[in-house]
Amino acid sequence: MTWFGFGFDGFGQMRPAGVSGQASCNVNTPVLISDVCGSECGVRVRASWSSRADVHRARCGSHVCVSGFVSGSSEEDCGAVLPESEGCTDALISERYLTLSFTDRVECWEIQHPQNKLVWKREQDNTGHAVALPLVSGGYIMPKPPFFRPLCSKLCAVSLALGSEHAVLLTSDGTVYSWGSGSHGQLGHGALTSQEEPQVVEALWGVPIRAVSAGNWHSASVSRNTEQPINEDEKKEADVFISIQAFPALVDVPNVSEISSISCGSRHTAAVTGTGDLYTWGWGHYGQLGHGTENSTDEPTLVDYFPSHHMCVKDVICGLWNTFVSAVPKEQPPS
Amino acid sequence: MAPVWTDVRAVLPSTVCEFPLHFSEKIELSVLKVLELARDELYSEADCPAAAQRAQVIIDYSWEKLNTGTWRDVDKEWRRVYSFGCLFKVLSLCHGNPSQYNIQEAIKTCDMGLLMGAAVMDNILQRLVGVLRNKMKTKSPNRAQRSEEPCSKKVKLDCVSKPVINPAHAVPRIHCPSLERFRSDFLDPQKPVIIEGITDHWPAFAEHPWSIDYLRTIAGCRTVPIEVGSKYTDEEWSQKLITVNDFIDRYIIGTAEDGVGYLAQHQLFDQVPELKEDIRIPDYCCLGEGDEDDITINAWFGPGGTVSPLHQDPQQNFLAQVVGRKYIRLYSPDETKYLYPHQSQLLHNTSQVEVENADLVKFPDFSKASYQECVLQPRDVLFIPQQHWHYVRSLELSFSVSFWWS
Repeated sequence: MTWFGFGFDGFGQMRPAGVSGQASCNVNTPVLISDVCGSECGVRVRASWSSRADVHRARCGSHVCVSGFVSGSSEEDCGAVLPESEGCTDALISERYLTLSFTDRVECWEIQHPQNKLVWKREQDNTGHAVALPLVSGGYIMPKPPFFRPLCSKLCAVSLALGSEHAVLLTSDGTVYSWGSGSHGQLGHGALTSQEEPQVVEALWGVPIRAVSAGNWHSASVSRNTEQPINEDEKKEADVFISIQAFPALVDVPNVSEISSISCGSRHTAAVTGTGDLYTWGWGHYGQLGHGTENSTDEPTLVDYFPSHHMCVKDVICGLWNTFVSAVPKEQPPS
Repeated sequence: MAPVWTDVRAVLPSTVCEFPLHFSEKIELSVLKVLELARDELYSEADCPAAAQRAQVIIDYSWEKLNTGTWRDVDKEWRRVYSFGCLFKVLSLCHGNPSQYNIQEAIKTCDMGLLMGAAVMDNILQRLVGVLRNKMKTKSPNRAQRSEEPCSKKVKLDCVSKPVINPAHAVPRIHCPSLERFRSDFLDPQKPVIIEGITDHWPAFAEHPWSIDYLRTIAGCRTVPIEVGSKYTDEEWSQKLITVNDFIDRYIIGTAEDGVGYLAQHQLFDQVPELKEDIRIPDYCCLGEGDEDDITINAWFGPGGTVSPLHQDPQQNFLAQVVGRKYIRLYSPDETKYLYPHQSQLLHNTSQVEVENADLVKFPDFSKASYQECVLQPRDVLFIPQQHWHYVRSLELSFSVSFWWS
């Protein structure tokens, strides 16, 4: 499993410092992330605006490596290993905070200064079903004080996506809830008003959803049985034109029958199909769409790099202005 | 003429020590790093190929912060960062031998910083605009319809209907009232009136009579916010940022293709200090409680047919007409019960009724509301008392200046 990245690389979170001439901070076509050593362990990549955190999960132990601004001037191959992260199972990184999830606790570390500082901690019991960050038992973690926010347990949350000012929640029965600022239509409730408490996205009621994701001003979700991603409430930006869509709308990804995963950057979206292709759309000024240009588009477009290099995309994670993709070589057809 | 870069460089502090980058804790260290790199490069001898891109990074990141939450909640520090981003972009555009296109882009960038950012380094963006404006070659009058007389020009929406004022409803007129007279007869009882004879001394009527050509000369290359759409309650209504030249070409002189455009409710006189010198704050404003600094001066410039739907404002208003005529209708706050204000938070100061095309089936009580009306002429100043409902439609190319005071 190899990881690739494209988009904003102003802090070397993609290409370690000094590798290339680095005339531009934009990486328009996918490059191999050489310092993600993923041979024996599974690696989850997480990204903020200026940094990248790799969660290494090995049988003998797990930890997080960081690269980009947070790692300082570390030029080690594997980024900088964070000693604080020994044994952690999951992590989320934002500009100021690194959230680490362990089997018995969750911690938030402030990462602005040379010395990382533990600013919040909470014990948690090792419940049967593990939920992914930012969900924790009883609620979720925001990347700012007071960090922990409770969530009604009746919701049976399985996945939560946090945008810059809104949240999208997926429950065990495939229902989507949203709350927070609604001024760009990102809540999917049809109006541009904000909501303090989780509200069902009625327009998706009856459509079982299996994944949700959130950008700064938009949300995206993938339905279970069928195909297409549903882009709730886009704020697309192609130069000065802004469109607001306050109800979820089906996104037409041509020639595609199934979407397996989806992720949002601040103003772009990336989706992996069941057949291992990657489609991207939205704001592209930093090359984060991976099409070799700095153009934006509101049409989902295939990232050609992967099929032309005979790679099958497995997963995608977006940072604010970049995109990280895990891929494996395509199996050769039997001769 | 000295090279552009020399004059631009002269506006910057001479040493890097005089260029501090101090921000509150709100600004993340990663952004600060980019700011410092951009600043340090300015003072190094080295060529900086990445300067433009670095400036754009600062602009894009702070732009995302500016668009998060309501405008009121945006931390002023992010607006300062945005202004610094604009500054660095301007400097990279002006390097070497900038083309006219680059200079216009630089002016546009200064304007974005002035409109959306917060003043930094002693309002350096304003000073830079001053320098750059003089480097723009003036637009040659090569278009078919160019004239000194704005009223004689065939502008859009010529079929604008001219209302006849019913004398029973006419707003009274008074010539140069004393401060005392104005206070006792109009301000205290909160009664609208048209004051005549108090703007004749304005340079906008005397030394520099305002016209389309004059506005092009003074502010043609400046970027301003324009409202597009027949009125702000419409679904299709939107705002865009274009230069004054483009606004005049597309929405004043041009065909009706682009719809109705209105440079409305914009503090143009803060942005273009040269224009501020052509107007004067009415003396009667001293009867209010606030300082002169608390008075908000807005420009209202557009073709015939612009409409401001019936609404009320929280302050006293002097609406001075400079170019063209406007039809205005006024309803006292006592009539509010007949005016069907919108329920929503955003529009609760706006009536649902289209004043000149009222749907009396939907809004039956509207016909019970008593009102006053007028056609405001150049040199007139209309006193609109606080919270008085007003509806405004321009009858031809029009430029008004409003003074909001308390």
